[in-house]
Amino acid sequence: MNRVSRRKLLARGLALGGGLGLGGAEAAQLLIPSWRGQTVEAATTAQPKRGGTLVAAAEVDPVSLDPHTNSNFSAAQGFEHLYESLTGYNEKNQIVPMLAQKWELSNGGKTYIFHLRPNVKFHNGQTMTAEDVKYSIDRVLDPKTASPWRSWFNAIEEIKVIDPLTVQMNLSAPYPGLLGSFAGMRASGIVPKGLAERENLKIKAIGTGPFKLVEFVPQDHITYARHPDYWDQPLPYLDGMTFKVLPEMTAREGALRAGQVQYASINAQGAEQLARVPGIKVLKGLIATVTLQYINVAAKPLNDSRVRKALRMAVDTNEIIQKAEFGAAVPSGPIPTGYGDWYLDPKTLPYTKPDIEGAKKLLAEAGYPGGGFKIELKCSPQYPQLVAISLVVQDAVKKLGVDAQVVQQEWGAFVKDNDTVIRTGGKEGGEIFASGNTFRPDPDGYIYPYFHVGGERNYGGYSNPKLEPLMRQARTIFNHDQRRSLYVEIQRTLLEESPNWWWYVAYNIEATSEKVQGYAQSFTGRRFLLKKAWLSS
Amino acid sequence: MRYLVRRLLWMGAALLGVSALIFILVRLLPGNIIDIIAGTEGQLSRSQRLEILHSFGLDRPWPVQYALWVWSMLHGNFGWSFRTSQPVAGLLVSRLPTTVELAALTVALVTLVGLPLGILASITRSARLKVAVQIVGLLGLSIPNFWIAIVLIIVASFAFHWLPALIFVPPWQDPWINLQQMFLPILSLALGLAAVVVRMTRSSMLEVLGQEYVKVARAKGLGSRAVLLRHALRNALIPIVTVLGLQMGFLLGGVVITEQIFGLPGLGWTLLNGVYQRDYPVVQGAVMLFAITFVVTNLIVDLLYTTLDPRIRYE
Repeated sequence: MNRVSRRKLLARGLALGGGLGLGGAEAAQLLIPSWRGQTVEAATTAQPKRGGTLVAAAEVDPVSLDPHTNSNFSAAQGFEHLYESLTGYNEKNQIVPMLAQKWELSNGGKTYIFHLRPNVKFHNGQTMTAEDVKYSIDRVLDPKTASPWRSWFNAIEEIKVIDPLTVQMNLSAPYPGLLGSFAGMRASGIVPKGLAERENLKIKAIGTGPFKLVEFVPQDHITYARHPDYWDQPLPYLDGMTFKVLPEMTAREGALRAGQVQYASINAQGAEQLARVPGIKVLKGLIATVTLQYINVAAKPLNDSRVRKALRMAVDTNEIIQKAEFGAAVPSGPIPTGYGDWYLDPKTLPYTKPDIEGAKKLLAEAGYPGGGFKIELKCSPQYPQLVAISLVVQDAVKKLGVDAQVVQQEWGAFVKDNDTVIRTGGKEGGEIFASGNTFRPDPDGYIYPYFHVGGERNYGGYSNPKLEPLMRQARTIFNHDQRRSLYVEIQRTLLEESPNWWWYVAYNIEATSEKVQGYAQSFTGRRFLLKKAWLSS
Repeated sequence: MRYLVRRLLWMGAALLGVSALIFILVRLLPGNIIDIIAGTEGQLSRSQRLEILHSFGLDRPWPVQYALWVWSMLHGNFGWSFRTSQPVAGLLVSRLPTTVELAALTVALVTLVGLPLGILASITRSARLKVAVQIVGLLGLSIPNFWIAIVLIIVASFAFHWLPALIFVPPWQDPWINLQQMFLPILSLALGLAAVVVRMTRSSMLEVLGQEYVKVARAKGLGSRAVLLRHALRNALIPIVTVLGLQMGFLLGGVVITEQIFGLPGLGWTLLNGVYQRDYPVVQGAVMLFAITFVVTNLIVDLLYTTLDPRIRYE
């Protein structure tokens, strides 16, 4: 890319805000003008070139490569190049056909029929058939597999093989999110029938993906080679990829500067430094992770929505974004800003500016004039931004006379307390947890498990009789506009009720060598579009 | 000989104690492998949790788990990693050389730099040099080595646009590339340790140089080099060797973080990851290996005393 076009793209990227044409990002730039990181779109003008190996820095070590049994995002980052599912996402986060060429819905949305792509080869040369699809999804549904993502597929009652290229799935209830559940790739990878019984899938992999596994050395590197029989020729363009595990951000940035790697995920500070380095470009796009604080609504005083809302009103969302992400984020409601047209416009979100007087009034109304109670804010230093958020909140609620203690916990301890809250119905574990919801294949995923009565992640048993029918309806109807208006209403109600404090959606910031072309970021935060990347000489 | 047998028996007892301690400690850590697998987003039911616990053998009583672990360890079996289902022994053996190389080269560098500097500081008349040694010693002692590591990366990559090849290459495959990869980690570990050795050497030498026998040696008309190296240094070495031996413990601790920063696949990072992921067999195995290394180092240090000072005899 020459100098002029790069500058032009830069200007366009800044004008667009997110650079990826996300409506929310545009609004966000108006709200957060201070972040100076630059955005460069992946150039797609030149003719892609075959060959070359991409060396990339990975920020986490994949816990395991098993496509069905890990909820850790690190695992998905390890296997996302190896496995594919029936559906997938494109650059614009639309669901597109992958291993299924097309599908039909019938029986009021309770029957899905998938027509598989013919001549899809696994990495071992075997041809993929309906039997493999049935085997893979059955493995996820089998309670013995203990897949933490089984709930995404719970609606499936029965999988029938119609012929080698046709699969029928019967659902217990209509579920419009199913196509997204497949595309989400948390537990939907298709493996050859019987593979899990033959191989240790934690370290071995045979999928249909654009790359096949060459070597996985935990805590060192993972190497992929081009899958020569990939169904979507001429993809992939690269001969191979190597991800070197470097948990330290400075080490990743250093490796990029020294030319040892051509790709690295970085943070906003790193982006500011790298934006001025010749030969390196910085990519920036919203990622569908809502950073938030869960509230255990079981005990006093946080069982009163007025108290939760009052504390929320005292906090300056912009200050949170500045201190936690150095400005590289946009305010968000329950459904992440930038997610299709499901999210609430950040400009219309309530209480983004602190309202101390209003908060005091509301607290007094709830029976706490002048505050006077103690709360605990739990967070893990594993994610420094969550500690920063807790500190900002602590400072803000002091103005209301509320004594907030920030409790930092090692990650395992934090998760355990989280689960304790759910297991004990809010009796033990803690009050407020800083955490995040990563990408869900459907807006429903950010709402239903958390707020419906008996939901798997319903901390402290939140219940709202007004929301119950709305949430149930929204997850079972197929009319887009109707669904959308339901989710708007649900989100507005949730913000009023504040069972969580939703703060922001951060930017996914990646830096690459200028030689890396054709790569686009994904709203999912995944890097599967590396299959379209190529290296210019 | 009797002494050695007694020492070895005590070592066995110490290691048994360590094994019990580490076994209890990792289980006292809040959260277990299931919490890590499921994270804050997973949605496992109670029966699914029990199923996983059972598959890892974690549903048995602690004494049974412990006895099984020690018994199989005595047979050379360290168990299987929860995370990868691979044998822990194989994993640790593959990771050990990197850590041993890192530690050995660090100690070598520390000795090569620290000893001469310390001796120099003890005999020099230059006040500036003395102050310099004090300052460097103080800095080296007070700056944590992970911070030094990050500064080294920044300096190397920003100022010199240099970083070694990242994919780890063992020394037997390509010693030159391996040495480049080890260069920065060794430097980051050695700086702090060298400071300790310089200060220790200086004070130990000063003490010995004031002794009567040094004066006697000088009075006999021996050359200053002979006095310094043959008479003084040999006696001054005892506390230095002790400190170096003890520092091995700190070094092993430093290795844990240094390896992670530089992405070196050694025992330290394996241990750290094991703790993060509550991979009990890996943590237990790695700590046992560290403990064995530490105990053996101590034995070697004690045996070295007799060589350094023939007056020391063990009964």
